[in-house]
Amino acid sequence: MRRVFDAQLLGPLGAMLLVALVVSFTTDRFLDPGNLSNLALQVSIVSLIAIGATIVIFAGGIDLSSGSMVALLTMILATAVKTYGVPLWPALIGVLVFGALLGALNGVLAAFLRIPSFIVTLAGLIAFRGLALMFNNGSPIFSLDPGLEPVFYGKIFGIPLPFFYLVALYGAATVMMNNTRLGRELYAVGGNPAAAKLSGIHVQRVQTYAFIIAGLMTAVGSILMAARLNSGSPNYGQTFELQAIAAAVVGGASLAGGRGNVLSTLVGALMIVIVQNALNLHAVPSAFQNVILGLIILVAVGVDMWRGEITRAVRRLSGRAGTSTAPAGSRAPKAATKPASGKSVGGA
Amino acid sequence: MPVSDAPLWEVDAVSKAYPGVQANDRVSIRLMPGRIHGLLGENGSGKSTLIRLLSGVDRPDSGEIRLKGRPVSMANPTEARALGVATVFQEFSIVPSLTVAENVFLGRWPRRAFGLIDWETMNRRSRAVLAELDIELDPEAITATLSVAQQQLIEIAKAVAADAQLIILDEPTTALGLDEIAQLHTLLKRMRSQGHAILYVSHRLDEVTALVDEVTIMRGGRVVSAAGNTEVEVDAIVGAMIGGDVKEHYPKVRNATLEPVLEVVGLASANGARDVSFTLHKGEVLGLGGVLGSGRTEIARALFGLDRIVGGEVRVGGRRLRARGPADAIAAGLAFVTENRKTDGLFFNLNGRANISSASLRRFSRLGFLDLKREERDASQLAQLLELSRGAEEKSVQHLSGGNQQKVVLARWLLSETRVLILDEPTQGIDVGAKLAVYRLINRLTAEGCAILLISSDHDELLAMSDRVAVVRHGSIADIRPPQQLSHADLVRAATGDAISEGRKVA
Repeated sequence: MRRVFDAQLLGPLGAMLLVALVVSFTTDRFLDPGNLSNLALQVSIVSLIAIGATIVIFAGGIDLSSGSMVALLTMILATAVKTYGVPLWPALIGVLVFGALLGALNGVLAAFLRIPSFIVTLAGLIAFRGLALMFNNGSPIFSLDPGLEPVFYGKIFGIPLPFFYLVALYGAATVMMNNTRLGRELYAVGGNPAAAKLSGIHVQRVQTYAFIIAGLMTAVGSILMAARLNSGSPNYGQTFELQAIAAAVVGGASLAGGRGNVLSTLVGALMIVIVQNALNLHAVPSAFQNVILGLIILVAVGVDMWRGEITRAVRRLSGRAGTSTAPAGSRAPKAATKPASGKSVGGA
Repeated sequence: MPVSDAPLWEVDAVSKAYPGVQANDRVSIRLMPGRIHGLLGENGSGKSTLIRLLSGVDRPDSGEIRLKGRPVSMANPTEARALGVATVFQEFSIVPSLTVAENVFLGRWPRRAFGLIDWETMNRRSRAVLAELDIELDPEAITATLSVAQQQLIEIAKAVAADAQLIILDEPTTALGLDEIAQLHTLLKRMRSQGHAILYVSHRLDEVTALVDEVTIMRGGRVVSAAGNTEVEVDAIVGAMIGGDVKEHYPKVRNATLEPVLEVVGLASANGARDVSFTLHKGEVLGLGGVLGSGRTEIARALFGLDRIVGGEVRVGGRRLRARGPADAIAAGLAFVTENRKTDGLFFNLNGRANISSASLRRFSRLGFLDLKREERDASQLAQLLELSRGAEEKSVQHLSGGNQQKVVLARWLLSETRVLILDEPTQGIDVGAKLAVYRLINRLTAEGCAILLISSDHDELLAMSDRVAVVRHGSIADIRPPQQLSHADLVRAATGDAISEGRKVA
């Protein structure tokens, strides 16, 4: 398990803890258990979808369709339960199957028909929401099933269930990427598809698996979304795909493929939600909040890309300062130790 | 023919080293206006380096380059162009989506007010340049619709339009047919009569003797023969190109048996392999000789399932192999170390170990889970065997030297229990020490019964390391012989299309 806590994770993790520390000093409500628990619930759905988005990015693709897929899947679930009276649990399993199938559709179009995944999933972004609007004349469906809400609001030992979903699924995804053949093949295909093919890896199949995993994770997110509001709506999930990609990117995944760590995405998602929370607690207007979020994404990726240059510049500056006591010199390297985009992944 | 005694360009005792290789060693050459100068040599002899220095891509470590007697220093290709040097590289710098005229004036388009392109002037001047060179092309045609030969003519028109006095052509005929070569030569002769200096780089002797006025021959980074003004003799050139002595030591061990392991009958692929037949035996090294573009790599690709097979049969260990992809070929025991490890060999996002194991993941996994301990153990054994640099398994391969990168790729196929190993230019661009490691590895593998198909443009290497050598021409095997019955000169001649002396077929 050595690899789980490598430098690729430590960078974003350190940055996130730093932000959390600052926020906990500047406000008195951040560390309030109610606030923290709220934060966890708020971040859980997008964080689960972000697992799939990250794995697709590792394999060298991109998934823009997940937000609209959430709308479609909640409407399918609502229609099945309310209109056709399908029992809850078979309906939930059906949602998972549908999610996997929609992911497979994305994957086959992108991998086997070689349509760029950006285009395939852009089409999905538009078309899935269109499909969602065809159910129930485009209106939301409410009060689905009394058994559905506990899926989101339930607690074990006083801890909300979504926390357990996060631990279980991020754990599974991490093990998959580090310890399974598929994980290694995903990294290989994302890093150099030509070399992967020559190594006997079925490149197109592996790329399709990535999209199927993304579809499954989106289905899980859809179930939680429906459970949270006990309803289905063609308006659910708007911009979820972008939030998921933002979490992956802030966490240090390279959009060029092949590099990154799944757990970093969770850290990225937490980072975004903590900043949002801090801005709320400081009563910053929401328009301004969006500007700041945009800047965070730019800075996170910028620091990652220019890491080498930043490290050198900092060294030069601190060398000129002579001692390590210069506060400017001692803080900056922290940012510069962000995950190496050039860092290799592989066996333990 | 305006001939002047004063050289236009002079390269005087210029040296250039790249990491691990002295590419040019005190090279001198004089280029006269109104003359075509041939530059000959085998791959790796330093021709390309000299071109790079003359066209401003690289700068010499020592020595002087003079234009009309004045020393010049060119920091980049733009400065070289400003001094009147135009280079036609093997990869053209032509934009396919633009018209002929736009390419001829690429980046220097005549303008009107508001920076708009003056199409009329551009087309008129292009027409004039093309007429001057007797090139029949429509200036308004889209370049992508033209043949490779026509695109090359545009490159030359571009040089003329830019008022280049020295025109350098790097292997200009590789992709051309006989008629097109003749057209190119007519054009070059016309330019010669207009007073241009032309440096014509090639390894095809037949065309060089027909075209050039003087010739410089390079070997191992040095000028070995500069035959100014004299009658150019083919045999003298061949002798000078290959050298009297074998430059490096080749530790060949003969392990060939008579037991067939790979039988190929009439193999044809959609990508250029034609009617390929040969048998490879256990422990044998079969060398494939031939020029660039002769189809050696295409034969390898067909065997490995990378190109669609359109005819023939392949048997590995007696069992029919129908490879629909590399996975099938690997399962049958084939392995392919490609020529370009950077584009299709290495995973730069992965460490050395993951690169080594990438073709053996099936073997390291149970129920989909990787046995990381076993992977580590097996990879480190190979790292030791190949004398991989310390820590290479943990490091990203992008931080390894070329030789170590090549060892990583070789290790990948040693791990996958290979019966037939295809090596495409395995020692290209690596230093002498790493080369020796590759040769020792070939010996070790053949001793264990592995058969090897060795593609190499280094004739010394090919003749020394092979048990038999097949000469490939036009995607087909023309002749197979033991290397003792094949001389350097034969290989060079075979590559240039002449018949091999006293051709005797040995199956």
